[in-house]
Amino acid sequence: MAIAIEELTGGITKVTLDGRLDILGAAAVDMKMNIIAGSRKAVLVDLQNVSFLGSMGLRSLVAPAQAIRSRGGKMVLFGPNESVEKVLKTACIDTLIPVHHELQSALAALQ
Amino acid sequence: MIGNGANESQDQLVLRSRLPEIAKVAPWLQDRARQYAIPWNVQFAMDLCLEEVLSNIIRHGYAGAEDRPLVVKFTMPRSRYFIIVVDDEAPYFNPLDVPDLPPVGPNQQMRVGGQGIRLLRRFADALEYERTATGNQLRIGFSVAASEVQMK
Repeated sequence: MAIAIEELTGGITKVTLDGRLDILGAAAVDMKMNIIAGSRKAVLVDLQNVSFLGSMGLRSLVAPAQAIRSRGGKMVLFGPNESVEKVLKTACIDTLIPVHHELQSALAALQ
Repeated sequence: MIGNGANESQDQLVLRSRLPEIAKVAPWLQDRARQYAIPWNVQFAMDLCLEEVLSNIIRHGYAGAEDRPLVVKFTMPRSRYFIIVVDDEAPYFNPLDVPDLPPVGPNQQMRVGGQGIRLLRRFADALEYERTATGNQLRIGFSVAASEVQMK
């Protein structure tokens, strides 16, 4: 699992995840996600290249989202494939972290 | 029960009880998917169910003991239907008796692996548990036809 961070205009941080967000993938990104959660207030997590999401990976998304929200910020998920989105919906993560399939709507949600 | 006369050893994966061993599952499933023409979404479901089941056996059933066996067998008892069988030698435990945790609330700490049973029930088309002489056996069924209905 690779993680790339890009600062967009408007104070939005885009986090692009690439690969499998399984047990090993979650371990690979947790530290950077925690750093982002502690320092950013508008975070878009790009899941377009995430091929797999398991329950350990869910935690890698939920914990930062909760931390950002506790600091008055927002986090959104962008572009999960159908199976990844089914995982998010099964665990009701989509009710905690909004899921967008259009980039503009994802960015607008963070304004 | 092995389908289509495929090589029995290729349809079986033996792991040791260390979490990094679970990384062997995805490429093994990719080989099965090629051999049996398994659609991608069904392969994903198999991958997910195995990740949840195996991680729970390693973390809880074997409680951290690192050299215990997990045997995963792939079968195709009939066309477009697959069963993955997981055998372990852990203390008896039926995961199907565990109730789903409630969905994570906005201010709740998310338990590690806490949503695993929920995901297993949602992504598998059939689940059967059996105590064996040495441990536990979980049989997980996947139907291509059922997955096509869900996608509509």
